[in-house]
Amino acid sequence: MNRKSMVWSLTSLFTLVAILLSACGSAATATQAPATQAPATQPPAATEAPATQAPAGTEAPATQAPATGGIDCMGAQQGDEISMLYQWSGTEEDNLNKILAPLVEACGIVLKPESSRDQALLDTRVKAGTPPDIAFYNIAQLVQYQDKLKDMNDLGINADNYLDSWKQIGTVNGKWVGLPVKTDTKTIIWYSPANFQSAGYEVPKTWDDLNALVEKMVADGKVPWSMGFESGDATGWTGTDWIQDILLVTKGPDYVNGIMDGSIPYNDAAVKEAYQTYGKWATDPKYTVGGAQGTVSTAFLDAIYKPFADPPEAMMVKQSGFAAGAIAAQFPDLKYGTDYAFFMMPGAQGIQIGADWMMAFSDKPAVKALVAYLSSDAGGKKWAEVGFDLTPNKAGTDSYTDPAAKDKAKLLGDAAAVLADLGDKIPGGFGSAEFKAISDYINGGDLDKDLSDVAAAQAQALGK
Amino acid sequence: MTTQNIPKIMKQGSWVPWLYLLPALIVMSFFIVYPMINTISLSFGNKDGTAPASTTCVEGKPCWGIFEDYRYALTAELNFSSAGALWDSFWKSSFGNNLKWIILMTAGTVGIGLAYAVLADRVKYEALAKAILFMPMAISFVGAGIIWKFVYDYGTKQVQIGLLNSIITSFGGKPVSWLSTPGLNTLMLILVGVWIWTGFCMTILSAALKSVPEDILEAARVDGATEWSTFWKVTVPIIMPTILVVITTMVINVLKLFDIVYVMTGGNFSTNVIANRMYTEMYKNFNVGRGTAIAVVLVLAIIPFIYFNIRRFLEQEAIR
Repeated sequence: MNRKSMVWSLTSLFTLVAILLSACGSAATATQAPATQAPATQPPAATEAPATQAPAGTEAPATQAPATGGIDCMGAQQGDEISMLYQWSGTEEDNLNKILAPLVEACGIVLKPESSRDQALLDTRVKAGTPPDIAFYNIAQLVQYQDKLKDMNDLGINADNYLDSWKQIGTVNGKWVGLPVKTDTKTIIWYSPANFQSAGYEVPKTWDDLNALVEKMVADGKVPWSMGFESGDATGWTGTDWIQDILLVTKGPDYVNGIMDGSIPYNDAAVKEAYQTYGKWATDPKYTVGGAQGTVSTAFLDAIYKPFADPPEAMMVKQSGFAAGAIAAQFPDLKYGTDYAFFMMPGAQGIQIGADWMMAFSDKPAVKALVAYLSSDAGGKKWAEVGFDLTPNKAGTDSYTDPAAKDKAKLLGDAAAVLADLGDKIPGGFGSAEFKAISDYINGGDLDKDLSDVAAAQAQALGK
Repeated sequence: MTTQNIPKIMKQGSWVPWLYLLPALIVMSFFIVYPMINTISLSFGNKDGTAPASTTCVEGKPCWGIFEDYRYALTAELNFSSAGALWDSFWKSSFGNNLKWIILMTAGTVGIGLAYAVLADRVKYEALAKAILFMPMAISFVGAGIIWKFVYDYGTKQVQIGLLNSIITSFGGKPVSWLSTPGLNTLMLILVGVWIWTGFCMTILSAALKSVPEDILEAARVDGATEWSTFWKVTVPIIMPTILVVITTMVINVLKLFDIVYVMTGGNFSTNVIANRMYTEMYKNFNVGRGTAIAVVLVLAIIPFIYFNIRRFLEQEAIR
């Protein structure tokens, strides 16, 4: 009996000590790279023989620059470390490692990556004053941490490789805080050329063509659209993408930018009109698979599959470029170009994009080397070659190998304007208010009330 | 050894109990008191705690000054344009939903748990029967949410992968979108909560039933009471203290409920609850002031139940 209680008190004591230790130690252990760190990119020379190992070979040991294939190390030393935080894992992480391999090899930089999809992690780090050197994250974070981020111009960015509209999106209050590294196009519609051909449909060139095509499909007894909102706590984002794309058709980029800077309130007449245009399709089982309940309940991935199933449940789905990968994974037999392909939202006067941004909390040489490399010709080409979605870096345009990526890159290169997602760019509760509004409206809610809620969040976020 | 010298420990001062309490106090103040005070002070601030909440007021809109975050927490979901609209919007708001959760889930778990405990008490395979009902307790909320999401799945074809809808369609019915139909969806979520927690209530109530002295029941039966009246007039009054403790525990649990809603609907389609709203403000909108204000409201809502629970506990101790 006595023995037993002693065992218990010892156990609880140990537990207490363990809790205390982990609480005190968390600051120290947190910055250590976790198990997901990429062993491939770490040069073996980090600890042993650091200085003597010239990566390019035995000759030209003194000056690294010429031997490194155009990679400028910006004064970074062998063994310099960069701690980084991103949301990628698995194949995505492998892709990044492949892209950064030339830099790691040339300059001997040691990458200390951490992977987490939990935004709260980055937020906690930044607030605690221990941010990673760099983070690959969303536009929202650029706005949120603008005061703590370094200006890309001071980090040796090759600005010529980026279109002005990219620079514009990455600039917050006059400071260029984000380097766009990976992007995807949103303003496109996926369809099956085979199905279109057998039904005698043609790819629409204008918005009116699209409307006529949709009506023709309905008359033929086919369901034109596949839509799916369901995406956990981000349910509704496919709908708000739609709205922004319709606005790009009906009003154009300046109008959308007006919403972004707050000069146009979200409950403006044209926005309401866009909701109604979309709602006409998204709530009617004749126009979309399953009607309103189908739209709100279908997972966004399932919605991508429906036009390509056999027999097809729908004719078209509006979804970002990543749909190509999803279709290829779900239907390995289908071929891009004949069985699935995309066209730009007809009449859109700009392309809506989603992008991952590199942001720097530190301006040490290794970070400069990374910025210089990623924005250089070599970096852009490598990114496109590896095919990690698309790179906004112009130099990459001709280096894609995947046919779908080639077409997407061409679309992006030809775009009159590139625009961020409204929900990404406007900070605070705007994004979730927008998701909530579209979900509620499609589910039968009161549109005016929904839009004024979003407008309130917009006004609050932008201080207008 | 000197006999005169009484060891100091025998005549301990008034500070000694505090010494024993010290480790607990340190841990408590570090992990509970400090975060609590910090939360309260943040709830009077703006979105990142750099300025008072009154600075976030928008001109021409209602403003509660330093309590601006509380104005948001309490009134943002409500529609004050008319009494009817207020009533409707209340039942769609996180407060209305939490109230539904409290009433239905507490009634469901305690009611079913008690009935099951009584019935299982009379059968030979009691242990097995109770184990089956208790099993969901071993599943995490997130896991349960995902399992039930499949049960409620709504497909657009006649072939349904969701259990519930495939039963309905196999009888020729039309599939129902369980999770996106306002009104119905919260009930479906509460069902998941009941499924998880009934086992817990059943176990505790069953233990209480076992402690009811057999001779009292015998006496009642000898006096000619039916099983029904024996149960209501003898058994239930005896186990009432346990029932009340189970009820208050469940109410506290339900008020904090987050996982099921977050996983299954993300708070969409009028299923939001207070805890999920707090998370959204805090970690999706990064509005610390509003998030903490909602947290404080939630704590204030829970305090009466904790107080009640502790008082009952002390009363019981006094009897003993």
